[in-house]
Amino acid sequence: MSEFLQQLVFGLAIGGVYGSLALALVLIYRTTRVVNFAQGEMAMFTTFIAWSLIENHGFSFWPAFFVTLGIAFLLGVGVERLVIRNFEHSSHLTVILVTIALFVIFNGAAGWIWSPEQRAFLGPFSAAPFDVGGVAIARQDVGVIAVTLLTVALLWAFFRFTKLGLAMRAAAVGPEPSRLLGVRVGWMFAMGWGFAAVLGAVSGMMVAPIVFLSPTMMQAALIYAFAAAVLGGIESPLGAVLGGLLLGVGTTLLGAYVDVVTPELELPIAFVVLVLVLLFRPAGLLGRVVVRRV
Amino acid sequence: MRPTWRQLAGHGVLFAAILLLPLVISDFRASQFAYVGVFAIALIGLSILTGYTGQISLGHGGFMAIGAYVTAILSVNYGVYDLLTVPLGGIAAGIVGFLFGFPALRLAGVYLALATFALAVIVPSLATALGDRTGGTAGILLELPTSPIGALSPDKWLYYVTWAIAIVLFAAATIFVRGRRGRALRAVRENEIAAVSAGVSLTRYKTLAFGVSAFYAGVAGSLYAILNFIVAPGTFPITLSILLLAGLVVGGAASFVGVLAGAAFVQFVPLYAGDVVGRLTGIGDRIGLPGGGFDPTTPGVPSVVYGVILLAVLWLAPRGAAGLAQRLGRILRIS
Amino acid sequence: MSRRVFVLVATLAAVCTFSVTAASAAPAGQTANPTGTPAPLRASAPGVTARNVIIGTTLPLSGPASLYARIGTGMRSYLSYINARRARDGSRGVYGRQIILNVYDDQYNEALTVQQTRRAVEADRVFAMLGGLGTENQQAVRGYMNQRKVPQLYVSTGLSEFGSLHRQYPWTIGWQPDYVQEGILLGRYVRQNLPNAKVAVLRQNDDYGREFLQGFLAGAGGGFVVATETYPRNGGAAVIPGPVSRLRASGADTFLVIATPTEAVTALVTAFRIGWRPNKLVNSVAATTTFMGLAQQSAGSPEAVNGVVTTTYLKDCNSPAYENDARVRMYKAIMARYAPGQPATDCLFFYGMAKADTFVQALYRAGRNPTRASMMNAVRNLQMPSPWLIPGARVITTPRSAFPIRHQKLARYNNGNFTEFGTLQRTR
Repeated sequence: MSEFLQQLVFGLAIGGVYGSLALALVLIYRTTRVVNFAQGEMAMFTTFIAWSLIENHGFSFWPAFFVTLGIAFLLGVGVERLVIRNFEHSSHLTVILVTIALFVIFNGAAGWIWSPEQRAFLGPFSAAPFDVGGVAIARQDVGVIAVTLLTVALLWAFFRFTKLGLAMRAAAVGPEPSRLLGVRVGWMFAMGWGFAAVLGAVSGMMVAPIVFLSPTMMQAALIYAFAAAVLGGIESPLGAVLGGLLLGVGTTLLGAYVDVVTPELELPIAFVVLVLVLLFRPAGLLGRVVVRRV
Repeated sequence: MRPTWRQLAGHGVLFAAILLLPLVISDFRASQFAYVGVFAIALIGLSILTGYTGQISLGHGGFMAIGAYVTAILSVNYGVYDLLTVPLGGIAAGIVGFLFGFPALRLAGVYLALATFALAVIVPSLATALGDRTGGTAGILLELPTSPIGALSPDKWLYYVTWAIAIVLFAAATIFVRGRRGRALRAVRENEIAAVSAGVSLTRYKTLAFGVSAFYAGVAGSLYAILNFIVAPGTFPITLSILLLAGLVVGGAASFVGVLAGAAFVQFVPLYAGDVVGRLTGIGDRIGLPGGGFDPTTPGVPSVVYGVILLAVLWLAPRGAAGLAQRLGRILRIS
Repeated sequence: MSRRVFVLVATLAAVCTFSVTAASAAPAGQTANPTGTPAPLRASAPGVTARNVIIGTTLPLSGPASLYARIGTGMRSYLSYINARRARDGSRGVYGRQIILNVYDDQYNEALTVQQTRRAVEADRVFAMLGGLGTENQQAVRGYMNQRKVPQLYVSTGLSEFGSLHRQYPWTIGWQPDYVQEGILLGRYVRQNLPNAKVAVLRQNDDYGREFLQGFLAGAGGGFVVATETYPRNGGAAVIPGPVSRLRASGADTFLVIATPTEAVTALVTAFRIGWRPNKLVNSVAATTTFMGLAQQSAGSPEAVNGVVTTTYLKDCNSPAYENDARVRMYKAIMARYAPGQPATDCLFFYGMAKADTFVQALYRAGRNPTRASMMNAVRNLQMPSPWLIPGARVITTPRSAFPIRHQKLARYNNGNFTEFGTLQRTR
């Protein structure tokens, strides 16, 4: 039984990683209707900046953390205003490709500036695990889930109760009417990117202690994060996190207990499940079905 | 409307150029242009799907992989003559694509893109998992290309085969999208609800588009396997699917010239992006620019160059809401 | 459409023009001088002119394996040193020819390896390919290289068939001790030092993992392995904890890790975290001071990595034991001069230099006007001491046995360093 619990813990841990990145994806989609393939790489890039602040400039963790969030926000706003804005009249397809180009650029730039070496990134939590009845639970893993859920709560409050949150939602759902009402739609989009970049930075800094800091650290997670976001409902922050946890636990347990599921099959199976879910609940588990207007 | 004389003549000149090119280039360059032909076939297929019915596919690398593996398995494990396997690879991919079209019906936009992305990721994983038939991570090594015509080197022989298939399939595509069917396909893209009210069966056209498009990609994949003589899970990474989409946008869909331009983009940018930096720094060193001694083989530099080229090319593609299909209609002027 | 296509075509044309390298010079027709002075240099083979020898290599400059591009930097730095220094005969380079190494990015994708290799051989007309990286990548081009009779030298992979299939592929050869050899040495260690061990194995699910385990079983004998788990290549750190936990559950007291660095480090950290304290055996690719340090930092305790046993065949560029070794000092000097800003603590650079040195020695033996055939002949008969290898090891290549390096030693990690122990062993 304790072996089962240990596997469950591993599943939740990796699910937390997926969920935290999925959260950033959901935020950008919700505020700008853009699927940002570069989300993981931007998260990785800002985590490298945090690392550099700690290693090369002598910051300790929490100051570096908050400074990085600020830098991430500026980076997100900058990318939206300088790059994405030029494509606002282009087709969906073009915008997707632009985010992919950004993926490639951020990935290459990180490898160029900091080299592809792997590094340890020590989070704020000590490395000694909790021992609960023979099951080891890494503090970092708990930290990821806790911080992610906290972020979901903050986001919900932000969108529900603040004027800015309302304006951002309006800009995403109806840019033209919002303009007429005086909402500065362009800057709403820019802030959407900024906040998403901040979320990405949080995700990166929580996740790096687990997967080791390197230019490719978010790539394996990105695919799962997309799946988690879609599974949970691409507009639902809570859905994204739940989707991530479900995927993490599901793939780990399947891999552990079903012999036929060799590790190579974990990803294909995750996607088959995803497609099946979408067939029956097209908007995802927690999503709302949007009625098409004629 | 019939194609104009000018358009026919233009195409004729192009075809003649393709025919005569091997006479003046080396074997190696001929093989490079054969790859361009392969990607042209894949792009024609992709444009039927994305250009006409507006369904975005991030998974065409997966369809190419299916065709490639069919060719590899049949020719290596069962001794089938490699060129004969090409239509089979296409059909296998086409069937998978057609079946994929059904769940795709219920997905739209971003969800569909993700589902196709999943396909591109799943096919290589499956290839690894079914190691016994597919050679696992090492993949399958095919025979080095040979030519049945003494006067032609294997590279030039394959060049002609590839381009002959490309031209035939292009003609087939233009016929396929002619008339009512083409209008129906475009109607699906522009406004599904209106299309349905006009009696267009969404199911039929969307799945058909997927199937045909996948068939083309499968043929391209089979030819790629023959040209490249290695098929492994790593030879069709997700970056290939993305590159194909980029080639589609960059080239501007199914006019033959657009497809050519897109295919050339897909073939040459990954190979030479890194070099551009090397050459530029070489020039920079010689004219005394600062930053000399910069090592262009630093990891990550080719990626940055490639990403910037991609952005630049996307930006130069015409902005504006004009759909790809509208441009198609004007250029082909078939229906 | 036309403006866009024009710009696109112009861009592509510019890119292609930039990439066309100079064709090799036409062969001259001079014969050897009959009065006994050294024969004048001439263009004796593709890629060889009177002034240069041009060779190529395919390495991943992008993607997850791009760290290994450092091998190329190491090779290039050493060749720059050779090109600048004066040899005993007074000339720079090899017999007065400068050695130029073209590095081609294959992104670790076998299809691109094929295309870049063809480009190197057919368009850029290189003399030989040196140190190409990647088992599957080099397998993909092996048939082609042998068909064209172009030397595929000292590939950067340890798969044993690069040595054992030399009759079928006479133009191909490996360099480092292959995975079977590594496995054998660790197997012998277990048999002699841990006779009652129960061994749990984590291995990568491909030929590399399979071969290594095969070698281990050959060296240890039967009855040791009680559990095996595999993980997929490129699975990343995420796929490791599950299998490691299952391995612990098997009751094993010895853990054999046959994995690439990230996965190996994660395995060690996970084992530590779940309270498992086995004897640890780790393959040499992952067992470097950098990665052991990573694991220690991540696990929060040196206990996670102290005692790790691995195999080694090169002098450790970081070890205090070799601090005053002439070769290691030369290595650091070359790094400082030709690759400033790169971390010389990563012994991948040292590996590249050692390999380039073997190549240079073989090139000398290929004659003043080498041909591809004379190069291959020199390579297949190369026997020499090498100051880059651990003391007592030699390069031994014979027409019957194409495994240039076959001596290894065990090494154990403790508090920041690997220390060799035991005797020098010959594993082939």
